[in-house]
Amino acid sequence: MIVSAAQDLGGVRIVLESEEAMLLAEFAGQVVTVLEQDAHTDPALDRLFPDAYVDDAAASDEFRRYTREDLAQSKRDAAAAVRDATSTEEDRGIVDIELDQAASWGWLTFLTDLRLILAERTGILADEPDDDPVTEPITERDGYMRAAYEWVGFVQGSMLEVLDPTNER
Amino acid sequence: MAQTIERPDVRETTDEASVTAVPWVTIVWDDPVNLMTYVAYVFRSYFGFPRHEAEQLMLRVHNEGRAVVATGDRETMERHVAAMHGYGLQATLRKADE
Repeated sequence: MIVSAAQDLGGVRIVLESEEAMLLAEFAGQVVTVLEQDAHTDPALDRLFPDAYVDDAAASDEFRRYTREDLAQSKRDAAAAVRDATSTEEDRGIVDIELDQAASWGWLTFLTDLRLILAERTGILADEPDDDPVTEPITERDGYMRAAYEWVGFVQGSMLEVLDPTNER
Repeated sequence: MAQTIERPDVRETTDEASVTAVPWVTIVWDDPVNLMTYVAYVFRSYFGFPRHEAEQLMLRVHNEGRAVVATGDRETMERHVAAMHGYGLQATLRKADE
């Protein structure tokens, strides 16, 4: 994966190996599916649409009623755009994607939503290792999703280094 | 000048001194998932904070577990919280004096 500036667009250019593109396309399709579920049917949804009020479930429900569908729609649109941009036939070699600033934001928010979902699925709470002792062996599937989680963070971090250069550290 | 019954215009601000004058705040909570660079970029892009201020706020969220990122009327704070949720950040609102 190579991320560079898309000079004329004010966004980024992302060049993906076809395997990377297929992985993103598959994840993006799954994120769309997760976002099509009803509220509270999947714990990942509680991370994507968290309570707006601490200790006030009624106000949080009211808030969700007014905001959730619009938020879900834009998250689905962002995921679908990534899915469409990365859908590729095998053996095409690389996938070359150019994004303007608005499309870059769509990718950034999609990558965030994907990481939130992967974190929920694998129980990642990286900052609290002592509070969350690993009691079960890590399954192959968990290992795969954790590796994907790290890679997705790397993609997002690479995009941010281009979009917001002096943040580079 | 004639008095009106309209509410005075409550300007959004993060100025600590004005917290008592306006009733609601938007709080962003630390989340081990989100990249620090992403959170700072969201603060800068959405709220229009200068880079340094956005990074200070991001660090406050990271180090103290949460930070007040906006102050104003309830409707505006709800809009900010919804926007933060759109970016994938964990955000809540509450009365400033709670």
